[in-house]
Amino acid sequence: MVDAREDFRPLYRTMLGLGIVAVLILALGFATLLRFAPPGQRTGLRAHVVGVFPYDPEVEQVDGPAMTRFQRDQPFAAQIDWDQLPASMTVAARWYDSLDAEVGVVGPARAADLARMGALVPVRTPPGFHANLPGTYTLFVVRYANGQPVELLGTESVVVLADP
Amino acid sequence: MIGSAAYRRLWRPNRYWLAGLLGAAILVVLVLSSVASLALGPVPLRATVFGLPAVAFVAAATALFVRALHHPKPATRGRDLTRAAVLLLIGAFLWLAVLDVYTFTRAAGPRVAALCAIACLPTTAAGLLIIRRLDRNEKEPWLLVLVATVWGAIVSTSLAFWGEALWDLLFATSFIPGPAADASTAYAAGIFEELAKGTAVLLLYLIMRDEFDDVVDGIVYGAAVGIGFNFMESIGYMTHLYAVLAPEGSGVAGAAVQWYWRQVIGLFFGHAAYTAMIGAGIGVARQLPRLRQRVLVIACGFLAAIAAHFAWDAWQALALGGAKSPGVQLLLLHTRYLFMVGPFVAVLLVLLAMGLELEGSALTRHLQAEAANGEDAVRPDEVAVLMSPRQRFRARMAALGRGGPGAYLRLSRLQTAQLSLAMERWHRERREIDEPLEAEEELRQRVLALR
Repeated sequence: MVDAREDFRPLYRTMLGLGIVAVLILALGFATLLRFAPPGQRTGLRAHVVGVFPYDPEVEQVDGPAMTRFQRDQPFAAQIDWDQLPASMTVAARWYDSLDAEVGVVGPARAADLARMGALVPVRTPPGFHANLPGTYTLFVVRYANGQPVELLGTESVVVLADP
Repeated sequence: MIGSAAYRRLWRPNRYWLAGLLGAAILVVLVLSSVASLALGPVPLRATVFGLPAVAFVAAATALFVRALHHPKPATRGRDLTRAAVLLLIGAFLWLAVLDVYTFTRAAGPRVAALCAIACLPTTAAGLLIIRRLDRNEKEPWLLVLVATVWGAIVSTSLAFWGEALWDLLFATSFIPGPAADASTAYAAGIFEELAKGTAVLLLYLIMRDEFDDVVDGIVYGAAVGIGFNFMESIGYMTHLYAVLAPEGSGVAGAAVQWYWRQVIGLFFGHAAYTAMIGAGIGVARQLPRLRQRVLVIACGFLAAIAAHFAWDAWQALALGGAKSPGVQLLLLHTRYLFMVGPFVAVLLVLLAMGLELEGSALTRHLQAEAANGEDAVRPDEVAVLMSPRQRFRARMAALGRGGPGAYLRLSRLQTAQLSLAMERWHRERREIDEPLEAEEELRQRVLALR
């Protein structure tokens, strides 16, 4: 015979309570996703990344052929064909290193303005470091609407080698 | 509990078939992932080739271990346990080789990986010791706790790695860096890592029912799986950070900081807590009468683990928002664990306390009943000793003083067998057991033989 003092309802209800809280948290997460990646923003446009080139910070120009691997002490920048995007479209491009830190940005600005300036997207060595950190660097080209990034137009990745 | 007593019949209950299906599903997922990697490319193929045998070794070791626990002949049991241990070691070695050489530590090198592993061992061991001690009434066998830990470290990390790699492949490039991408990554981590870890606890529940008694055991096994997962993940992050920062001369500092967050502050406020919630759900389900209730409560455990993991990954950076002063930042870096994982840990502690209370009163009642039946398996003066970890320990130490290590071990086995008998009586009283009634009598005879 089961002892009357053994009441498993508090355990059961606590678990149900945890489940309800969990559903609320996951719903809040989904709302975050919708807020920062709102549906219906897809234009189908793609940003054409011409390539990633060695970069001369003194003259702020690229130099040499496009590459996918760089030495740590070798500055580099991405060249994007801004002309191919609608002139009034607000866009930005950002580099992230292998620690997911932002290490370079251009924009947000109108595509026409970036095209007129011939804007490159160089990677900046983070303050306090002697050279770029090794690992994979990823470029994201993003469209803005109402001051908020809403659509990913293109990506590109290169590797910075560990040994100079 | 005594395997031969608990499983005398040759047939196996449905849960073994469920466990078999689950095991087969894990293997199918890994094989499919391997095949998919050939077609999709970005998923590292070498990890597939070398990771799969490691999983197979661990699966084979688990099967041998389970067989050993239930085999009546000590000689066969010992042989199976040895084989299981060797296979586990080979599996662990293979997976470590994959992890170190191909996945995370290629740049850092095997020496750094080994040093990181050595640095994580004491904290992981301390975590397991504390977790196991939480089960104050009837401690789980070390071997089973270690199997759960190794499964979490090797198999769960492998499963989660594949799931997250595929998620990245399908969705990562759709999201803009920032809150949306963070949420997407957090969903992937929460879902795949918790499912991968939870599967281990679920398999224990299905296969080792006689060692999976209630919510307390669920929390212990869940936390053990989480600690194993955390061990392997810590090595991965430490070596990655070392490889990135070493050229700047701060590799050791980067790895040490990761060790501090993951092996000290996050040891119980991370994977251990998440998977303990899955274990709590399964443990509560173990003692519920209706299938609908059991399924619901297990689902709640999984959901809670996924949500807690998701919330940490997606929003923990928000806790630091706005803090400019280094002192305030340092304080927030620590207190965010309390704000974000603390509430879940608090609920776990409440569940643990309720479970220990229920278990304690039930065991006391059944030990008293056993003492009253005059069969001498439990004597009246032993009940209070058996129900107090401190008194049990004192009695064992006294035995050690009187008769040496042999006496200590004999008394330890006797106490374990007596508590197992009381636990068996409790489960039979609640009709939660599928072993024959003779199993209880065999346990009683075992206790008498140990006297």
